[in-house]
Amino acid sequence: MASISIRNLVKRYGSFTVIPDLNLEIADHEFVVFVGPSGCGKSTLLRIIAGLEPISSGELYIGDNRVNGVPAAQRDIAMVFQDYALYPHMRVYENMSFALELRGTPKAEIDARVKRAAALLHIEPYLGRKPKELSGGQRQRVAMGRAIVRNPKAFLFDEPLSNLDAKLRGQVRAEIKALSQQLKTTMVFVTHDQIEAMTMADRIVVMQSGTVQQYDTPEAVYERPSNQFVAGFIGSPAMNFFPVELRGEQIVFSQDGADAPLDVNSRDLLRKAGHGVFGIRPEHFSVTADAAGAVAVTVRLVEPLGSDTLIHFDLAGASAIARVDPALRPKVGDRLNLRPQPGRAHLFDGSNGQVLR
Amino acid sequence: MSEAAAKFTEDRQRLELAALSAPAVIFTVAMIAFPVVYTVWLGLHSFSSTGKQSFVGLANYSRLLADTEFWHGLWVTIALYVLSLVLQLVFGVWLALVLFHAKRLPGIVRSLFISPFMMPPVVAGMMWLVILDPSLGAANYILQSLGLPPSEWLASPVWVIPTVALIDTWQWTPYVALIVLGGLQSLPPSVYEAAQIDGASAFKTFQRITLPLLLPTIVTATILRSVDLLRFFDIIYITTQGGPGNASNTLNIYGFRVGFEFFNIGYASALMLTLTAIVFGAVLAFNRLRGAVAW
Repeated sequence: MASISIRNLVKRYGSFTVIPDLNLEIADHEFVVFVGPSGCGKSTLLRIIAGLEPISSGELYIGDNRVNGVPAAQRDIAMVFQDYALYPHMRVYENMSFALELRGTPKAEIDARVKRAAALLHIEPYLGRKPKELSGGQRQRVAMGRAIVRNPKAFLFDEPLSNLDAKLRGQVRAEIKALSQQLKTTMVFVTHDQIEAMTMADRIVVMQSGTVQQYDTPEAVYERPSNQFVAGFIGSPAMNFFPVELRGEQIVFSQDGADAPLDVNSRDLLRKAGHGVFGIRPEHFSVTADAAGAVAVTVRLVEPLGSDTLIHFDLAGASAIARVDPALRPKVGDRLNLRPQPGRAHLFDGSNGQVLR
Repeated sequence: MSEAAAKFTEDRQRLELAALSAPAVIFTVAMIAFPVVYTVWLGLHSFSSTGKQSFVGLANYSRLLADTEFWHGLWVTIALYVLSLVLQLVFGVWLALVLFHAKRLPGIVRSLFISPFMMPPVVAGMMWLVILDPSLGAANYILQSLGLPPSEWLASPVWVIPTVALIDTWQWTPYVALIVLGGLQSLPPSVYEAAQIDGASAFKTFQRITLPLLLPTIVTATILRSVDLLRFFDIIYITTQGGPGNASNTLNIYGFRVGFEFFNIGYASALMLTLTAIVFGAVLAFNRLRGAVAW
């Protein structure tokens, strides 16, 4: 068990800088998820922690040990790869026992640890099979089993669910979460899927262009995004954004000058920033009969999801979505009054995207 | 669609299928089946010096069992085969690993490494004949300048088989290396990263990961080289012609001499069919092995 500390870390490939300057503290036993779009540097950061990529400058600590330049094998971490990276010529048992065998662990102990991990992951019937004889989900479990038997200081997961179908992904996601609670080991999980990040993490690291945009609990990242990028990346469907500005004492949509439904506090914030972006999540609109404090929209498209219904509409020159009660049964062409729920709207600085609070 | 129309369509499809596959069938019959059947027929006959043929049944094959020259040829063939194959596989895998890891090696150097097998065997044989000449060749000159005694090389009954095996190894190791290199390049890189994290040393990685994963490729190279090595002919014909004495008289050389020097076509055919059966047997055995080592 160990904490992970990343200090002023820089990663360059030739003249190209992938991670300009990154600081991060992951506490012991914590489940941290790195999330961000493709190319944001999240997998590179994970591989640096694993020891598969050298650091250009900065410091990396696992526990109290500075591990810059320490080979992967000596970092006492285990990694689950995106393509599982099982040894295709070895049977499941050998895949799981290989690392222990290399460390000279006695055979009886290897056997006990492999069987214990296999029982935990329900893969005992497959111990004699080769990876090609397993399904994607079973391979995934074997890859986790291979990591568990080593009893490492930290587990690293590099998008391990991306090769599974949607149903299995949900199932394995829950299993990993349960496993983390059972094993009480530091876990770092990389994904581009914000649902995985929200459901599994104790804390989420939202990354863009090699920088940490926000590092906080899932609730905080969702409720109080630190900037427009985080607000747009976390949440599905994504947050709606509308450029707004102050005209006299009135907050209006920049596009058409219509009144924007923002509170008095927003007016003060906007006065300082000059111009801004009004953000509201689809689920934070309320349908109301009263037009006061609401915007009138025309339904352009309806997506019934069963549990709720998504309605698409155009507002102030932007395409937007609202999540409404399916009992409303809205139809294309209907006129609706949508009011932002109190305290749920966000205002971002129009020039740098930072949240205005 | 009516039954008659359906039958018409089916007949037409059959006709098209026959027309399309006919060239391949004709080619196979003309180029493979006919020569094999003809050789079988020849092996069951005896031919007099006047060209008169007579059916002798399996007499050529029973003669073969009692022929000490046949057994000697078989021994030479197997000795050359085993020695050359082992050397080519060991050096081929080694060369492939060198080329795989030396990623910055200029293309021209890579091409030079793998160029020997592009050379016609006759040219390679002639070249080595000159190099290994006991009095004028570079090989003995190098040995003597190192203070070692000169060797008879191809003229020595003891050294002729290892020497021919070395010439063939020089020529065909790059070919094996090229096949193995292809296999190496197709191995999944993440498996090596997993081994790195598991704590495998370079040697353990080679022993427990690379080599087992390369086995199917190595067996493929073995099959390809086996077919060539068991029919060993051209380099021997150029360098020793089976000599000194009969020290390098492989089955193929022996069969050629029986057929085209002694004009005993029936017996030569029996010899060649026996050699073909040995080659087929080896290919089938290695093919099964390939299935066993597949991952």
